[in-house]
Amino acid sequence: MRETVYDKIFKPKTYTLSNGKEVKQHASRMPFILLIVLFITIVSWEVTGVDLSMIRTRGYQFIVILLAMFPPNLNFMSNVWGPLFDTIQMSLLGSIAGALLAIPFALLSSSNIIRNQLLNGFFKLFLSILRTLPTLVTALIATFIFGLGTMAGTVAIFIFTLSYIGKLMYEHIENVDMGAFEAHESMGLSKVEAFRYAIVPDVMPTYLSVSLYAFEGNIRYAAILGYVGAGGVGLLLDERLGWRDYPSVGMVLLILMLVVFVIERISEYFRMKLT
Amino acid sequence: MNKAVQLQLEKEPNRKLYLSTIGIILAALLVWSFMGVNITGFDPRGTQIASNIFWGILSPDLAFLFDFRTAGGVPYLLFETIAIAFLGTIFGSLLAIPISFLMSPSVVSKPVAFVTRLVVIFIRTIPSLVYGLMFIRVTGPGPYAGVLTMSLTSIGMISRLYVDVIENLDRGVLEAMTSMGCNTYEKIRYGILPQLFSNFLSVTIYRYDMNLRDATILGLVGAGGIGAPLIFAMRSYRWNEVGSILIGLVILILAVEIFSNKLRSKLVNG
Amino acid sequence: MTMIEFKNVTKTYPNGVKALNDVNLTIDQGEFVAIIGLSGAGKSTLIRCINRMHEINEGTLMVNDVDVGKLKGKQVRLFRRNIGMIFQSFNLVTRTSVINNVLISTVPDLAWWRKVLGLFPKEKKIDALEALDKVGILDKAYNRVDQLSGGQQQRVALARTIAQHPAIILADEPVASLDPVTAKVVMDDFKKINKETNMSILINIHHVELALEYADRVIGIRQGEVVYDGKSEAVTQEVLDQIYGSQAELPKMNDPEEAEV
Repeated sequence: MRETVYDKIFKPKTYTLSNGKEVKQHASRMPFILLIVLFITIVSWEVTGVDLSMIRTRGYQFIVILLAMFPPNLNFMSNVWGPLFDTIQMSLLGSIAGALLAIPFALLSSSNIIRNQLLNGFFKLFLSILRTLPTLVTALIATFIFGLGTMAGTVAIFIFTLSYIGKLMYEHIENVDMGAFEAHESMGLSKVEAFRYAIVPDVMPTYLSVSLYAFEGNIRYAAILGYVGAGGVGLLLDERLGWRDYPSVGMVLLILMLVVFVIERISEYFRMKLT
Repeated sequence: MNKAVQLQLEKEPNRKLYLSTIGIILAALLVWSFMGVNITGFDPRGTQIASNIFWGILSPDLAFLFDFRTAGGVPYLLFETIAIAFLGTIFGSLLAIPISFLMSPSVVSKPVAFVTRLVVIFIRTIPSLVYGLMFIRVTGPGPYAGVLTMSLTSIGMISRLYVDVIENLDRGVLEAMTSMGCNTYEKIRYGILPQLFSNFLSVTIYRYDMNLRDATILGLVGAGGIGAPLIFAMRSYRWNEVGSILIGLVILILAVEIFSNKLRSKLVNG
Repeated sequence: MTMIEFKNVTKTYPNGVKALNDVNLTIDQGEFVAIIGLSGAGKSTLIRCINRMHEINEGTLMVNDVDVGKLKGKQVRLFRRNIGMIFQSFNLVTRTSVINNVLISTVPDLAWWRKVLGLFPKEKKIDALEALDKVGILDKAYNRVDQLSGGQQQRVALARTIAQHPAIILADEPVASLDPVTAKVVMDDFKKINKETNMSILINIHHVELALEYADRVIGIRQGEVVYDGKSEAVTQEVLDQIYGSQAELPKMNDPEEAEV
């Protein structure tokens, strides 16, 4: 173990064995880490004005809304399908487009495929920066550029999917065992042929599985994009919550849960098959 | 060609039908989603706004970006966002510990695990903004509502990852301890807890990274953090301020991501 | 007939390490040759120069009357079609089926659309299955490679090489990651192929006993130079000492860095 500044302050203990050998035990960093965590907790507590007694005194308000959602307004069901399909279509199109464009981005970021560190670094940074933007913020910006509606939502989901899959894939590609690639070259395959038959089969199951996973998550994200005017079921939620029409909100949430549940089960089934 | 080879050749699994069915379904879904989304192209003013945002990022409002003194400056807003995400993660991970045990089939009976799992899935499906609005009714607008929302929304994923940790515990250690004559308490204290602790911590740090991203959007419903000023600045076309906020956000999240990756790899590799 | 001929071959790595120093060797068609020596003596480099996975700096290397150093681009790939290679870590695509791995050896002969889609014609499939039959794992043809044991994986690699129909097989530590019994099975396969098809086989190998048991001829390498070349029956303890050096030159195990907790 290397000696760090921490070890200079808290000297390691030394034990002498019966045969004269010396063993050093470094002081545990745990108390130090716990102290930092405690400190940040207290500061955050102050900054955000957390007041646990409020949960006791006013917590029923949360339950009130929850109870107001029951029973859900069944008549509202017919209004839900249109926006709900918009949401699914948005996330489907955004996910597929994002997943497809993620391939060239991931390849350009992988140092074992494109041997140009400048190019790799540039694309890695680009994907990281895209990833930092929360989907809702991207959607907000997109509504300014593409106007209100599903197009803005699709673009937001597209950008998130691109960055998410792109990053996971280049990490996977960089960790691929290049042995098969070498073997294929030794058999006289060209670099492209060796890539097609060594890297692609290795990466493909992960790529499909990650894409499905991204699509699953995107449905849940897409449900709130309507909030900033980017189309879909979020629009409906925003409107009904504003009118305090909680039984209808309950209906929207119920249908959303069922759809997300079904889609997650289907996608989970295929992801299990892929691994 | 000998007989065994002939036999084996006929045994080749035929996946053409399966693959082409999936291909057709996918293509149909793609066409369907194309029909649903209005491909509007650029709004007439869109290109203008896009370039405005671009210039806003290139020429941010520096006074706003480096305003360390007032509560309205970017540094304070980021600080508030960090605090919301931090407390939300701490509360969420504490709540997730009992829930994850109730979700692991190797700890409780199968039906109990299944029901808890279902409940967690439903908690997860409700969009965070809806929780935000509900909690605002409890606490009034402000970062506190954000903290409560974060706590609730992070339970879903944290407990799912905790379950993986619990299910993948190395049982060999317990076997070894039994062979040394340790009792149940000793096995939990020295065999299970050390394994759980570092893995749980790693999951929690990972979730903090994601919560930070989510905390930025809670401001949109008035639950504190940097989201609200962002949407105000955009609605009033103050692009320089938008630029400042976006720059601050990107730098913060990148920094936290790098830091948390370092921390996690240290936790895993010792 | 001479298959491989090294004439004053020297190879220096960019970091200045001299891996091969003035090597002269002739290997005939149908010979079974084992190359022995310490790790880092240049065994691997010697083998990899033959199919030009490594470039040589000086001298000439003739394989099947072709000057290896003069080949360019597509010629290199055509030349490699005629040489099979086996690796210590098998180097298979583990997430696909056994037969697909064997079929990869036929990829360069396919039409472009078949290459893209990965559709192989029936006669290639039969060829691949026959190769699998030769190494005794025909029944595993449609299993995924990662379900197989190490010995079975190495035999898949061997089948892949057989389906390539090469004139030479180069094997770089083919049994180093296998247990002793499996290692013998794989070595038996090599011997069988050598006898039946008259391919030349060059094997890098750590296990001296296996080398002496299976190979007709042994080449000993030390610090990039050939220090022994002769029949395997003629290898004595003195010869081995010459190749591996005396005990004193071995790296010390009680290194203080290693002992520290």
